[in-house]
Amino acid sequence: MRRVGAALIAAVALAPVSLAAQSQSAPAAKSTVPRASDGKPDLTGVWQGGSTVRGSWQEANQGNGVGGSGKNPNAPAVLSASDRPSTAEKAPYQPWAAQKVLDSYKIRAIDDPDAECLPPGIPRTSVLGLFPTQIVQTPQQIVFLYEYMHEFRVIPINGKHRDDIAPTYMGDSVGYWEGDTLVVDVTGFNDKTWLVGAGTFHSEALHVVERYTRVDKDQINYDITMEDPKVLSKPWVIHTHLMLREGTHLEEYVCAENNLAPAFYERLQKNNVNFQRP
Amino acid sequence: MMKRKICWMGVSLAALAMLALPLAAHHSFGAEYDASKPVTLAGVVTKIDWTNPHSYFYIDVKDDKGNVANWKFEGYGPGVLYRNGWKRGVTMKPGDTITVTGWRARDGTNWAHARQVTVASGEKRMFGPPAGTGDGGAAPPVEVK
Repeated sequence: MRRVGAALIAAVALAPVSLAAQSQSAPAAKSTVPRASDGKPDLTGVWQGGSTVRGSWQEANQGNGVGGSGKNPNAPAVLSASDRPSTAEKAPYQPWAAQKVLDSYKIRAIDDPDAECLPPGIPRTSVLGLFPTQIVQTPQQIVFLYEYMHEFRVIPINGKHRDDIAPTYMGDSVGYWEGDTLVVDVTGFNDKTWLVGAGTFHSEALHVVERYTRVDKDQINYDITMEDPKVLSKPWVIHTHLMLREGTHLEEYVCAENNLAPAFYERLQKNNVNFQRP
Repeated sequence: MMKRKICWMGVSLAALAMLALPLAAHHSFGAEYDASKPVTLAGVVTKIDWTNPHSYFYIDVKDDKGNVANWKFEGYGPGVLYRNGWKRGVTMKPGDTITVTGWRARDGTNWAHARQVTVASGEKRMFGPPAGTGDGGAAPPVEVK
């Protein structure tokens, strides 16, 4: 009984702040959280970020995947690689760094590393709503497969960061269970990705802590803390969600296949086309 | 000259509603396309590229004097389209007459971003995200003091 109470308290504490979100994601009883053979919540499944709507992909994305314009006018827009989750606070950058972020915003993010088909990093990959994420859980390791940019993470449970980490786009992830919450500690990033939103750069000192709490069959509360003392004035915290999308399969995504963006940007600049914000 | 003769249908109510929506895509809509230049064109599909990161289709558009111009439209990649009901070789094929609403490229060429397509069956489907996509949204992610 004590565990049931704790789960309910955790679910309430982590519930989204917006009224719309609350109405669609009321805390559910612990009995509805699927369990793995080791008793841990089983996160296995295909998930969609940035949503609180239950149902299949098509049910939850009325309006042909874009939200707001279909049968359900209250459906949230699908989160892209350049959007902040709607409940996220603004990024707490140091003044000099905030100016740099603003510079990218003013040139409408044509300096976006994703426009070059480079890996998006964490949490930019993991908060996405336009593309699904598949989680495969075993007691020893948890695998995240991201359709967007074909990225993956193999996260050892109770593992330690290697001593010889070379900086990478997706960083080095290790996980552990804190009660019913999967905590993933990510470090070893290079400085070539954006956090969440246009221009949100970081340094190699970036340290991300993710907390995944499956509160019922359909919903994972996904809480992210980003620390980077070289560019942020304090940790940047984002609370968002992953929603189960039964029946959805990851599709192939080969970004380099026909990426016309860099050539387009080059042509705009060469022809002095005004695309910048005032 | 050709561009001026194209039959402009202007901004529909639907297009206005779309402008208010948040954003979604792989790269910057706002840099490439001008949300203040909505365009609605009817024409015959000549080619479809179901490619990543984005798909493209081409239509022949005839003006009131019978001159034909080929227009290129950009939208979601095939995975996103598939998840949202598009079936390759069924929903839209070369030879189909369609109507598409979107926004023109900033460079003034016969290139545009596709939002809503009325396919040959009469069904309306979203081929691409709303205006202003992927360029950081209506407000910067930081406050500069």
